[in-house]
Amino acid sequence: MRPALGLALGGMNRGILRCASLLVPHSERADWRREWTAELWHIRLACQPRGGSSWRAERAATAFCLGAFQDALCVRGIRRQNWEIAPAQHGSAGECLFWLACLLALSCIVACVLPGVYVENHPSHYQINPGLVLLQRDLFNDSSAATITGQQFLDLKASRQRSIDGLAFYRMTRESLSPGFHAKPKWAVAHASFNLFALLGVPESFAGLSSETSGGLPPVVLSDELWKREFGGSPKIIGGIVRIGRTAARVVGVLPRGSWRLPGGADAWLLQPNTEISRSAVGYVVAHTTRVGQAEMYDDRLHINAFVTDDPDADLWGVSFNERTRGPWTIFRFAVLLAFLALPAITSVSLGESCFSSQRPSLMRNLYRWIFLSAKIALLLSITYFASLDFSYWNATGYSALSEYSQLASSFLICLFGMRWILLDQRERCPVCLRRVSHPAQVGQASRTFLAWNGTELMCASGHTLLHVPGLPTSWFGTQRWMYLDTSWKFLFAGTGVG
Amino acid sequence: MASETKLSHTAAMILQAIDTGCVYGFSIMEMTGLPSGTVYPAMRRLERDELISSRWERQSIADAEQRPARKYYKLTAAGRVTLEASRKRYPLLERMIPSPEGRSV
Repeated sequence: MRPALGLALGGMNRGILRCASLLVPHSERADWRREWTAELWHIRLACQPRGGSSWRAERAATAFCLGAFQDALCVRGIRRQNWEIAPAQHGSAGECLFWLACLLALSCIVACVLPGVYVENHPSHYQINPGLVLLQRDLFNDSSAATITGQQFLDLKASRQRSIDGLAFYRMTRESLSPGFHAKPKWAVAHASFNLFALLGVPESFAGLSSETSGGLPPVVLSDELWKREFGGSPKIIGGIVRIGRTAARVVGVLPRGSWRLPGGADAWLLQPNTEISRSAVGYVVAHTTRVGQAEMYDDRLHINAFVTDDPDADLWGVSFNERTRGPWTIFRFAVLLAFLALPAITSVSLGESCFSSQRPSLMRNLYRWIFLSAKIALLLSITYFASLDFSYWNATGYSALSEYSQLASSFLICLFGMRWILLDQRERCPVCLRRVSHPAQVGQASRTFLAWNGTELMCASGHTLLHVPGLPTSWFGTQRWMYLDTSWKFLFAGTGVG
Repeated sequence: MASETKLSHTAAMILQAIDTGCVYGFSIMEMTGLPSGTVYPAMRRLERDELISSRWERQSIADAEQRPARKYYKLTAAGRVTLEASRKRYPLLERMIPSPEGRSV
C-alpha cells in the first residue's frame, strides 16, 4: 500500500473517532478520545507489517474505529441514566436558583436589545430641569391636551407673575419635511419659542439656539427617528437646510431618542421668535416655577391666577412633569408594594414551619433556608423589573402613557404570582436539605376525617422528612406539618445519601 | 454490587479476560474475539456496576516507551465475586479463556 494512502486512511480513522466523540458527554469526551486514540495507535502497531502499511492492518483499524460509535452511545446512555436517577440534583435549591438565574439572564439580554428599555434605564436622557410645569386651562382634565393660545402665552409673558418666571410655547402641526422641494410624507412638527430647550435643559447644547446662530434661518432640531428614517442617519444633514412646509430652516442637531417627554409626540422642533407665534393657534406652555410657586404646589399642581385677554376669569393650572420623568424604577417600586399588599389575598403567607416531632433543624439549616428564600425573592424582583420593561417596551421606542400602565400591570402580576409560587415552593422544601418533597401519597379517606387523619403525605427523597398536608383542615390539624425521620428510617433510603 | 448479579455471557467473558491479565481494551478484544463495538460498551457497563475499575497508566512510563498512555482495567472485589458466580453459571468460560494458572497446569 502506498504511504500516502496509508496516511489518508489514518486520517479517516482519526476523523471517525472525532465524530463519534461528539456523541460522548462533554465532560467525558477528552478522556474517552484519549483512550480510543491510544488503542488505535496500538492496533496499527500490532497489525501493520514492519516498515509499511497493509490493507489488513487498515481494515482492522477502521473496524475498530467504527465500534467507537456504539461505545459513545453507551457512555451517553449511562450518563443519562445517572442523571435521571441522581436524587441530589432534582428539585434541589441550586437547581431552582439556577433556573431563576437563567430567566433573569434572558430578561436582561432582551432588555439590552430593546431600544425603549435602554432609554428608560438611562434617566439622564430624559431628565429635565427641576421646577418646570405645564400650564393648562382649568377646563381641561387631560394633561396632554393643548389648551393655551399664542395670544394667552404672549399675555402671560408680558405680565409679571408671582409663581412662574420663565415661559416657553410650542404648538404641534403636521407638515412635510424634506431637504428639497419634493413631496414628502408629513411629520409632527413643534413650532416652539427659542427658549424651549434652554428652559427644559435637555440637551444642554441646544440652550442658546437662535436665528443668529443658524445663519439667519430658523433652527430646526430633528428627532432621532426622523433623522434615521428620512435622512438615513447621515451626519451630513447637520448644518444643512430643509424645508418644513414653506419655511426653510437649518438643521442644528438631533434630539437623542427618548429625550422628549412633553405632550405632543414631535418629530422635529422648529424654533422661532415669539413675534412669529400665531396668536390664534392653540399649544402648550412650559413654565418655570419660582420659590413662591414651588411652595404653593400641592399634589404636583399649582394654581395660577393670571389675567389673559380673551378670558379674564380663566384659571390656569401648572401641572408638574414629575409623572412624565419619574422613570421605571418608581413604577416598579409601587407595583411591588401593591403586590406584597395583595399577596395574602391569594395565598397563605405562612412558610409551614410547624412540626410535630421533637427534632428540629439546626440554626445553620434554618439560616440556609432563609438565605435561599431571600435569594429567590431577590431573583424574582430582578426578573420582575426586567421582564415588565421587556413586555412594556417590546414595541415602543420611548416613553408613552400606555407603556407606563403596561409596566405597572405586568410588574404587579409577575411579582404577585411569582411571590405566590415562591411561598408554595418554600412550603414544599425539606427543612434539612431544601429539596422539594416528592412522591405524594393519599392517606386516609375524606369520609373518615373526624375519626382518623386524612390528607397527602410527601417524602423527602433523601430521607430527612415527611410532609403531612391535611386534606380538610381541622381544629387539630389545620396546617401542614413536618415529621423528621430518625435513623431507623435509613434503610429505606439506602444509596440516596441520607444523613 | 451484590454477588447475585447475573452477567451475560459476553460480560462474563470480558471479566474472565481481565482476570487472566488482559488489562486493556485491545488485548480483551484479541482474547475474546469480540469487536470493539461490543467490548468497550460492555466494559463501560461493568465499570458502572463497579465490577471493574480503570486507571490511566503513568505518562512517564508511556513516554519512556515512546507510545501513548493506555487505560488499564482490573477486577474489583465485587467483580471477583461475580466472576466466581459466572464461572459456575458458564462452565465453559474457563476453557475458552483459561486463567494463567489453568494454562500452566
